[in-house]
Amino acid sequence: MPRLVIDDREIEVPEGTKVIDAAGRLGIMIPRFCYHEALGAVGACRMCAVKFLQGPFKGVQMSCMVDAKDGMVVSTTDAEAVAFRKWVIEWLMKNHPHDCPVCDEGGHCLLQDETVSSDHSRRRFLGSKRTYRDQYLGPYVQHEMNRCIHCYRCSRFYREYAGYRDLGAMQIADKVYFGRFRDGRLESPFSGNLVDLCPTGVYTDKTSRFKVRRWDLERAPSVCIGCSLGCNTVAGAQFRAVLRIEARTNPDVNGHFICDAGRFGYSYTNGGAGFRQRPREPMAAGAGIGREGALERAFGALEEVARKYGPESVAALGSDRNSVETQCALKKMCAAKGYLPPVFFLDPAARRKTCEAVARLDERIAFSRSELESADFVIIAGADPLNEAAMSALALRQAFRKGGRIVVIDPRPVSMPFDFEHIPVVPEAIPRIFGMIVANSIPGEGGGLDANAGKFLRKLDRRSEDATLQSRIEDLAAGLAAAKRPAIVCGTGIVDETTPAFAADCALLLYRAGKRAGVFYVLPGANSYSSAVLSENDGRTFADILEAMEGGSVRALVVVENDLFRNFPDTRRLEEALARLELLIVIDYLPTGLENRASVFFPSSTAFETGSTFINQEGRAQFAHPVHAGGVPILGGSPEHVFRPDVPGGGQKPAWSILHGLETGLSGSGGISAEEIIASHPAFGAIAPLRYPVDGVRVIPVQSKEEFTSQSVSGGEPAPPRGLRLLLVDWMFGTGEISAYSDTLLESIPEPVLTMHSADAERAGLLDGQEVALRLEGGTVEVRLRVTEKMAEGVILLPRHQNLRWQKIRGFPALIDPERIAAL
Amino acid sequence: MNENESRLGRIMDGIGGIVDSYAVTLKHLFRKPITEQYPEQKKVLPERTRARIVLTRDPEGEERCVSCYLCEAVCPTDCISMEGAERGDGRRYALWFRINFARCIFCGLCEEACPTLAIQLTPDFEFSKYHVLDLVYEKEDLLIEGCGKNSEYNYYEHAGVAVGFDKGEHPGEAKPVDVKSNMP
Ligand code: SF4
Ligand code: SF4
Ligand code: SF4
Ligand code: SF4
Ligand code: FES
Repeated sequence: MPRLVIDDREIEVPEGTKVIDAAGRLGIMIPRFCYHEALGAVGACRMCAVKFLQGPFKGVQMSCMVDAKDGMVVSTTDAEAVAFRKWVIEWLMKNHPHDCPVCDEGGHCLLQDETVSSDHSRRRFLGSKRTYRDQYLGPYVQHEMNRCIHCYRCSRFYREYAGYRDLGAMQIADKVYFGRFRDGRLESPFSGNLVDLCPTGVYTDKTSRFKVRRWDLERAPSVCIGCSLGCNTVAGAQFRAVLRIEARTNPDVNGHFICDAGRFGYSYTNGGAGFRQRPREPMAAGAGIGREGALERAFGALEEVARKYGPESVAALGSDRNSVETQCALKKMCAAKGYLPPVFFLDPAARRKTCEAVARLDERIAFSRSELESADFVIIAGADPLNEAAMSALALRQAFRKGGRIVVIDPRPVSMPFDFEHIPVVPEAIPRIFGMIVANSIPGEGGGLDANAGKFLRKLDRRSEDATLQSRIEDLAAGLAAAKRPAIVCGTGIVDETTPAFAADCALLLYRAGKRAGVFYVLPGANSYSSAVLSENDGRTFADILEAMEGGSVRALVVVENDLFRNFPDTRRLEEALARLELLIVIDYLPTGLENRASVFFPSSTAFETGSTFINQEGRAQFAHPVHAGGVPILGGSPEHVFRPDVPGGGQKPAWSILHGLETGLSGSGGISAEEIIASHPAFGAIAPLRYPVDGVRVIPVQSKEEFTSQSVSGGEPAPPRGLRLLLVDWMFGTGEISAYSDTLLESIPEPVLTMHSADAERAGLLDGQEVALRLEGGTVEVRLRVTEKMAEGVILLPRHQNLRWQKIRGFPALIDPERIAAL
Repeated sequence: MNENESRLGRIMDGIGGIVDSYAVTLKHLFRKPITEQYPEQKKVLPERTRARIVLTRDPEGEERCVSCYLCEAVCPTDCISMEGAERGDGRRYALWFRINFARCIFCGLCEEACPTLAIQLTPDFEFSKYHVLDLVYEKEDLLIEGCGKNSEYNYYEHAGVAVGFDKGEHPGEAKPVDVKSNMP
């Protein structure tokens, strides 16, 4: 480990550390434009010049290009280095336009900071300024090429780091241009990171264009609830509106970046277009009722139902969108009042899969996203990383760049920005195939493994009847055998119920075989981990409650932040069951439509307004800090000239506080204490005392109670189902609960399509691009057909698209007779 | 020192003081008064007197303010607020702009910070109100027709962004780079 001296202070750093980072560890920020921790060094900008006084070489050098070595003595303040940096600024400013006042980067611009700190204020250069034409880059990123200082960060991120090809550097010498070949929307769903990365204002956030300066934003560390990864963000609000989301660096979770859905999908909290969509007032039967009145009415009605039919006639439904606090408060309320314990899942299969996955996560095999980045062999089993957890695809891309081999076993036409092998098979065949890869990678009968692991290994199938598949498996197994840090990425969406546990056992087997192996689950929603933990001993789901509603034993239902009509597969049945209820209490911050049906509706606050805890898919509890006080945004016109003590349209309480009110009948800001959260489940013990380090804490056990208990998947190839199996799938844009209410994302939402294998299409006589009618149990859905060869035969894929009434499907797993798909 | 002498001297001093001040009063009785009869008589204040703030227009008659938030940032009393917006042609402007004159201390920092010469202090100090909220001025109240102290400067002529003037048309700019040409 080299020891060196920087500005008279000594430091020891790991081998290979750049001098610029070594200085960073001492708290010395050497100015930089092109260097970036995630993108590495290219030495393009010459801004990081320092003077080397002693050591292997002397003189002014770029600190980002030099590895720290023993005996180096470095000065960042040496007159020669300072003068050098001053000249760099002067020559960069030679071509820089005079447009800071109309540039959205102004106020947090690296170039501006360095120009001011180097004291450059007068233009001495007499020549003309170079100019460029700008491009239209889509709805999120604004382009203003004159401001470019040619640091190459954008093209390095876009092409090398993220793997998309439609933006990059063009031309030579003084004409180098960063942009697309022609105007058009950026293809990468990570394009928003250009806004954070560009040290100047070439790329700025179009959704908040001209609306605010960074110094005016109320900013706080937040957590994205767009999917189960829980990427870390900084949310900024002004004028009672959240206006900008930036990526927050968390090496374990999202690194330096976030996806576009997370960055730009924030407008739900402001109430969408015109700020009117968000329900802000308590209502009874669709009409406004004061806060006190609502609580009185709801509390009284709940007591009444409990008195008339017994407390077990009251049921409660939460969701993956609830914070940990809300879920615990819901559980506590139900326990205190003797109501039925709350359920958090709609579908029993989804509950089982999520619970199985969560039960298996432990310190040995749970991989964080950063561990995924350094995996050298990845099996993706029943997951579509880009669509289900976008930032995991970026992690996989890094694994690929480091030479990792990646195989996807999934029926969908999975696409990711790197090369991978795809074995498209029906969901029931997934575990068997990756089990075979794992089994074949361990030589012999697994001598040296302990009894349990050996037994598990012997149960695994090794040979497939299909010779081509077999040779492919053997080839992959050879790759896996050579791997040191293999990972299994397992979805919980389309897979069979036993697959998540099986994936954990396979990872554990590899772990026992001496590899640093791990499993990385993709869960259904932001707080699925907590939902699963809180319902681990309770097999009930909303399906059971629905039956009880129909049977008349459940008379009252409390729905907390669940967009029931979007999520439940049978709209008609749901409507009828809700109509039988005597009392429906709804708590939400989204306009789900339930607010108009509710006997009493309470508007809740979003995580931006109150702060709350979410546990991501690897079991990391993270706190989203409150950003602002909420209220109707005052954008779009000057605020009224009135004095008032309250925040107009504000004052919503968090769901947990409303639930406390329903429990006690008392208004006020009471809620749930840290002790009560910890009491809700032993796993939450690690959460205490609700003061997390900003990087979050993992709440998973050191060693899971279960190992090698998953159901065996041996027994030959599964019989092909008769008919086509309909799989409901998620897309990055257009299927999420949160994104549906964020009008900032509207332009990203592609048209819904039904996807089908070309052989299946041929058999059914259907053509690509055709409008087809899909006859489901509950009615017909008209949708465009997409035909592809890159998917499994025997399945058709229907997105849970917001513009598609897929809720006519009537049950989660659906087998469709091909006859039921007809061209229009 | 003799005690009697000093007592006499002090008496003479006292008398002298009284007589002197009567003399001054008497003298002023016969002088022309210099009091100005404000508000009947109004004084022309120097051009740079710092009082009521206006938003000016550029020589083309467009609003100068680009809603850059600099005046708002520099203002020591936080009495300026605004919201920026984009016009159809890409021009940045203030959708609304307000100054709370009940808070303004007329320090002139906003004028100093303004990169477009939009915000200017004027010598008009006469705008007291009976109600404090009436001192909150909106853009309609602030925006004047003229250019104020500078009749030439047009920020967008120099900005470098393609608004009003195309790329390469601003003074000192080269023609835009043609990325599809290999000519040097
Ligand atoms: S556009 Fe921005 S990130 Fe890209 S090279 Fe220019 S200054 Fe660097
Ligand atoms: S990957 Fe998921 S958690 Fe991360 S920013 Fe995107 S939507 Fe949010
Ligand atoms: S004169 Fe001073 S106090 Fe008044 S608005 Fe300008 S900066 Fe603020
Ligand atoms: S500093 Fe000038 S241009 Fe900027 S917002 Fe204030 S008045 Fe407008
Ligand atoms: S940061 Fe070292 S050359 Fe750019």
